[in-house]
Amino acid sequence: MPTVYVNDKPVEIGTRKLNCVQAADLAGVFVPHYCWHEALTVVASCRMCLVEVGELKDGKLTMQPKVVPGCQTPVKDGTVVVTGEYAKRHPALPALPYDPGYTKGGQPGERAKKAQADTLEGLLINHPLDCPVCDKAGECKLQDFSFKYGRSESRMVDAKNTPPNKPHLSSKITLFTDRCIMCTRCVRFTREVSGTSELMVTNRGHHEEIDVFPGRPLENKLAGNVVELCPVGALGSKDFLYKQRVWYLKTTDGVCSRCATGCSTAVDHNKDIVYRVNARPNPEAQGHFICDDGRYGYHFANSTERITRPLLRADGATRPAPWSAVTPRLREAFDRAAAENPAGVVAVLSPFLTVEEAFLYATYFKGLSADVRLALGPVPVVGQDDTYPKDVRGNPVEPVRFTIRAEKCPNRRGVEAVLRHFQKDIVPFDAAAREGVAAMWFAGGYPDRDAVGADTGTDWKTPGLLVAQDLFPTVVTAAAGFVLPATSAFEKDGTFVNHAGLAQTFPRAVRPPVEVRTELQLAYDLLGRRGLVQAGAVRAELARAVPAFAGLAAADRPATGVRFALEMA
Amino acid sequence: MPAFDPTTTAIVIVCLMAGVLGLCGFLTLSERKISAWMQDRLGPNRVGPFGLLQPLADGGKFFLKEEVIPSHVDKVFYVMAPSVAVGTALLALAVVPFGPTAPPPDPVPVAAGAVATFEQAQAEYQNQTNFVLAPGLDVGVLYLFAVGSLAVYGVVLAGWSANNKYSLLGALRASAQIISYEIPLGMAVLGVFLIVGSLNPEKVIAWQTANGVWWLVVFQPLALLLFMTAQYAEANRLPFDLPEAEQELVGGYHTEYSALKLGLMLLSEYVHLVAGSLMLVALFLGGWSLFGLEGFVTHPVWAAAVKTLIVCGKMFALVIFAQFVRWTIPRFRFDQLMNIAWKVMIPLALLNLLCVMAVKQLGWPLGVLTGTSAVLFLGAGVVSVRLSGSVTNPKRKVVKLPPGLPAGVTYAS
Amino acid sequence: MPRTESDVRWVDEPRLGFWEQLYIPAMLDGLKTTIGHIFRPQVRTEQYPEQEPKLPGNYRGVHRLNRDEEGRVKCVACYMCATACPAHCIDIVAAPAPTEWQKDGREKYPETFVIDELRCIYCGMCEEACPVDAIELTTLYDLTGLSREQMVFDKEKLLSVFDQTTKAGTDPVRTRSGRLSVASETPPG
Repeated sequence: MPTVYVNDKPVEIGTRKLNCVQAADLAGVFVPHYCWHEALTVVASCRMCLVEVGELKDGKLTMQPKVVPGCQTPVKDGTVVVTGEYAKRHPALPALPYDPGYTKGGQPGERAKKAQADTLEGLLINHPLDCPVCDKAGECKLQDFSFKYGRSESRMVDAKNTPPNKPHLSSKITLFTDRCIMCTRCVRFTREVSGTSELMVTNRGHHEEIDVFPGRPLENKLAGNVVELCPVGALGSKDFLYKQRVWYLKTTDGVCSRCATGCSTAVDHNKDIVYRVNARPNPEAQGHFICDDGRYGYHFANSTERITRPLLRADGATRPAPWSAVTPRLREAFDRAAAENPAGVVAVLSPFLTVEEAFLYATYFKGLSADVRLALGPVPVVGQDDTYPKDVRGNPVEPVRFTIRAEKCPNRRGVEAVLRHFQKDIVPFDAAAREGVAAMWFAGGYPDRDAVGADTGTDWKTPGLLVAQDLFPTVVTAAAGFVLPATSAFEKDGTFVNHAGLAQTFPRAVRPPVEVRTELQLAYDLLGRRGLVQAGAVRAELARAVPAFAGLAAADRPATGVRFALEMA
Repeated sequence: MPAFDPTTTAIVIVCLMAGVLGLCGFLTLSERKISAWMQDRLGPNRVGPFGLLQPLADGGKFFLKEEVIPSHVDKVFYVMAPSVAVGTALLALAVVPFGPTAPPPDPVPVAAGAVATFEQAQAEYQNQTNFVLAPGLDVGVLYLFAVGSLAVYGVVLAGWSANNKYSLLGALRASAQIISYEIPLGMAVLGVFLIVGSLNPEKVIAWQTANGVWWLVVFQPLALLLFMTAQYAEANRLPFDLPEAEQELVGGYHTEYSALKLGLMLLSEYVHLVAGSLMLVALFLGGWSLFGLEGFVTHPVWAAAVKTLIVCGKMFALVIFAQFVRWTIPRFRFDQLMNIAWKVMIPLALLNLLCVMAVKQLGWPLGVLTGTSAVLFLGAGVVSVRLSGSVTNPKRKVVKLPPGLPAGVTYAS
Repeated sequence: MPRTESDVRWVDEPRLGFWEQLYIPAMLDGLKTTIGHIFRPQVRTEQYPEQEPKLPGNYRGVHRLNRDEEGRVKCVACYMCATACPAHCIDIVAAPAPTEWQKDGREKYPETFVIDELRCIYCGMCEEACPVDAIELTTLYDLTGLSREQMVFDKEKLLSVFDQTTKAGTDPVRTRSGRLSVASETPPG
C-alpha cells in the first residue's frame, strides 16, 4: 500500500489521487488553505498551504530545499510531508531520518511555519482591520489563521489600498473589494461549476480586484455559493448582511425542501428565527453547493402571513380555537365520517410531509377504516430540470455538476413509498378530489401558496368536512371548516427521500410558533397516543412496519443519508 | 399623702405613662445618635434640628405603615402579645419612685401617747406628696419582680403565635434568659432589703437619705453590678439580646410583627429599661438625694421639682450608660449567657447575701460589706483564672480530621 | 486549589488574665474606645443631596454613546458590547450606514441601540469590548425613572447623555483606542 508520512505519521492513501492537504487531513493534520477547494481546480495562489516535502526511498529521506504549496503537490508512496505543526505531532511517533544538512540545527517544519506566518503578513498588508463591521468576523478564515499561524502585529507602515466597494456586483451579492485576498475561488466557481463566468480578476499586483463584466452582473441560480466559498468577508450576501453576528447563530443540519434534489443544508438560526441557509457538503445528495432557491428560500418560515394557530370556521368566519378543543372535535368528526361513508373519507398527504408524518397520518386514517382513501397531495412542478454548468449563453454543458429539479417538493418518493404500503395505487390529488368526497383531510405544508391553487381545478367540489393544514392561506384553507397550521421543514424532525431515493434524516432547527403543533404531534394525538411524540420512535416504528424503510432503523446510519432501492412510481 | 383621689391618680397615671412613653421615643433617638457618634457617623439629622423630631417621624411611621397580620398566625395570641408586653412593662411603673418620696410612718410601740404620736405621724404623712403611683406599698419591690417576670408572657405569646421557627426560637431563648436572670436579679437586692429592713422602695430611699452621702452602692457595689447586669438581660439589651439576634433569627420573636404592633414590642423593652433604671436609682443610688444639694431649695414646689430632676437625671445617666454598653460589647453566646447567670451571678449573689447576714448578725459596721463585696468580686476573678475561664466558657475539644478530608474543618465535640 | 493540612495554621485561644477574667475592667477598656470616638469624632459622612459626591473619573454610571467629529454616532454596530455583556442588556439592530457616511469608510451603523439600564449591572465590559470607543460609562449616578420603559435607553437617549455629560464637562471622552481600531485609523485621503 502506498504510504505517505505526514509529520512522521504514516498514512496509507490507497489508490486515491491526493494532494498534500488531503493526505495531511487523513493523518489528522490540518493544513491551512484559502484558495484550494475540493470541488474547484487548483491554482495555488494564496500560498497558505506551504509545506515541506521530501521523499523516503530505501530508508533514505531526501527533503526538497524549498517549501511547496501543499494543494498543488500530489503525494505518492514514500512522500514525506512536514507541516508547520510538526512540533505538535504525537510525541510517541518515531522521527524520520531528517538530514542534518536540511534541518540546520533546527526542527523540521520551522520553514513551513515561517512561510505561513509570512504569507499571512503579506495577505494582511492591504486587508482592512474592519472585523467589527465585517459580517464574516467569527467564521473568517483570515481571522482564524491569523490567530493561529500569524503574527500579532503588522509591520506595514504605508497607507493601505482602499478600493471602493462594489454593491453592483449582483442583486443578491455585494463585494467589499478591500477585504479580498485574491484566492479566486469565486472566479473559479463561476467558470467551473456554474459555468456562467461572470466574475473575473482585473488589474495586476496589489491592484488586483474581483469584478464583473460591464452589464453582466452575477445573476445565476448558483451565485449564492460564492459568498459561502469566500474565505474572508469580501463577498457578502445582501440577504444576510448585518442581520446577525455569526457567533450568535446556532447551526443545525437540515435538508432543503425546495426541490426534489434534497440538498443537505446547514441551517443557521438564533432565537427560533432562521437567518441563513448554507450548503452542507454531501456527495450522496448534491455535492458541495446549493442553489439560490434553497439558499434564500427560507423566508417563508419567518413570514408573518403564516397560519399560526388552529382556526374554526363558523358562519363563514374563522375563529381561533385552542388545540384542546380542536383535537377531540377532529377525532369525533372523522370517526363519524368514517362510520357513515368510509370510502368518502380522503386523506391528502402532501409531498412536503416527512415520511414519519405521512406514516402516522396514514396509520390513523387507515385505522378508521380500510376503505378510507389516501391521496398524494399536489406535486408542484415548475419548468424543466435546470442543470449546471452552462456556457456563457446559458446552454447546459456536460458533464452535469448540479441539477435544480423541476419538481419543487422534497419528499414525493418518501410519501409515495408510505402510501404504497397502505394501499395499492397512488391516487393523485385531483383524481381523488373529484370522486364523491364526503370528508377530506388536506395535510399541506406548501411554502408557495400558489402551488396548491394551480392544481385544484374549478370543478373541485368542497366536501362537507374539510380539514386544511397548511403554512399559508390557500384556496383549500379558504373552503375548510378546520384550518390548522403546518410546520416548515426547519421546524420538524424527520426524514425526506429525494429524487434518487436517498433518505436523509434531519433534526429540528427552530421551534414553530407557540400555537403551532407539528403534523407529527397532531397525528400522534389523533391516534390517541399520550404525551409528546418522539420522531426517533416513530421512525423506528416506520422501519419495522414498512420494509422499504427498514434501513432507517440502523443506529449508525451515515450522516450523508441512506439510499434505498425504492421502486420508481 | 392626701387621701386616695381617683381623679388625681388617673391624671398622674396618664402623665406618667405619657412621660415615660415620650421619653422612650427620645431614648430611641439617643440610642441612634450615640451609636452614630461611637461609629464616627452623624446619626439622624434630617427631621427637625439635629434630628430632634426623628422620634415623631418614627412614631408616625409605625402608625401609618401597613399592618400585616400573616395568614398563618394564631390571631388571638398574636394580637394579644404586644399588649401583654407593653402592659406588663407599664404596670411596673406603679411602684417606682420618680421624685421625692416619704416612707409611711413606722408603727409606734404600744406606750403612753402612742396613739397621739401615731396620729401625728399619720397626719404628717398625709401632707407629704409622694411621687409614686402606689405609695406606701410594703411589698413594693416584690410587686415589681412579679410584674417584671410577666413580661416573658408577651415574648412567648408573640413567638408561639407567629408560627414561625425564628419567632419561636427567639421566644424560647427569651423565656430561658428571663427566667434565669430573675434569680440573680432578686438575690442581688436581698442584701439591700436586709440592711434597710424593708421591701418598700420609699423606705430604702429614706434609709439612704438619712445616712447622708452613704448610699447603698457604697455598701453593696457587687449587688449593684449584679442587679444592673441582670436588668440588662431582663430588658433583652445587648450584650444579652439573643432573643432578637438578627444575624441568627431575623427579628426573633417579633419577626412577624409590623407597624404599630412592632412599635409596641420595641417600646416595651425601653419601658423595662426605664423602670429598671428608676429602681436602680431608688435602691442603690439614693433616690432623690444628691449629696445634700437638694436641700438648698426650700420652696416645696421647687424642691419637689429639683428632686424629680435629680431622680430623672440619675435614671437618664443609667440609661445612657446602658446604651454605651450596648454599642461597646458584642453579644454573648447562649451557653455563655446561661453560664454567667447560673455559675457566676447566682453564687456571687448568694455569697453576698451571706455576708450581709453575717454582718447584720454580728453587728459589725456596714463598711465591712464594701470590703466583702470587693473580696468576692476579686475572688471570683482569681477562681476564674485558676480554672482558665472554663466556668463561663467551657473548653471544647477540637478534633482534627483524618487526612484526605478538606482541611480547616473541625468538629467540636 | 484544594487546601491541605499544611496550609492550616492552628492558633490557640489567647489566655485571659486576671483583669480580663474580671470582665469589668475589660469592658471599661472597650467603653474607653467607644466613648473616645464620641469626643474625637472622625466623621466622613457626605451630606448627599446638598453635597455632591466626588466621583473618580473611571466611575461606572449611566452609559452614553459617543459622537464622532461630525456628530454622528460613533458606534459601528459590531455587537461586541452585546456579546461581552453578562447581563444581556444591550440590544442592537444593525443596518448598512447611510450612503453619505460610506465615503468615510462607515459601512455599518446601529439602526437602533437599546440598553436596559435596569438589567445592566454596570460592570463596564461593554466599554472594554468596544473597538471604536463608542460606548462609555459616565459618572452619572443618580439615574431615576418612573417606569420600566423610561429606564430602557434608546440610541437618542444615549446620545443625549453624551451631549449632556460633555457639555457639563464632567465626563470628557476618556477612552483612546490603540492602533488596531477602525476609529483610530486615519480615513483615506
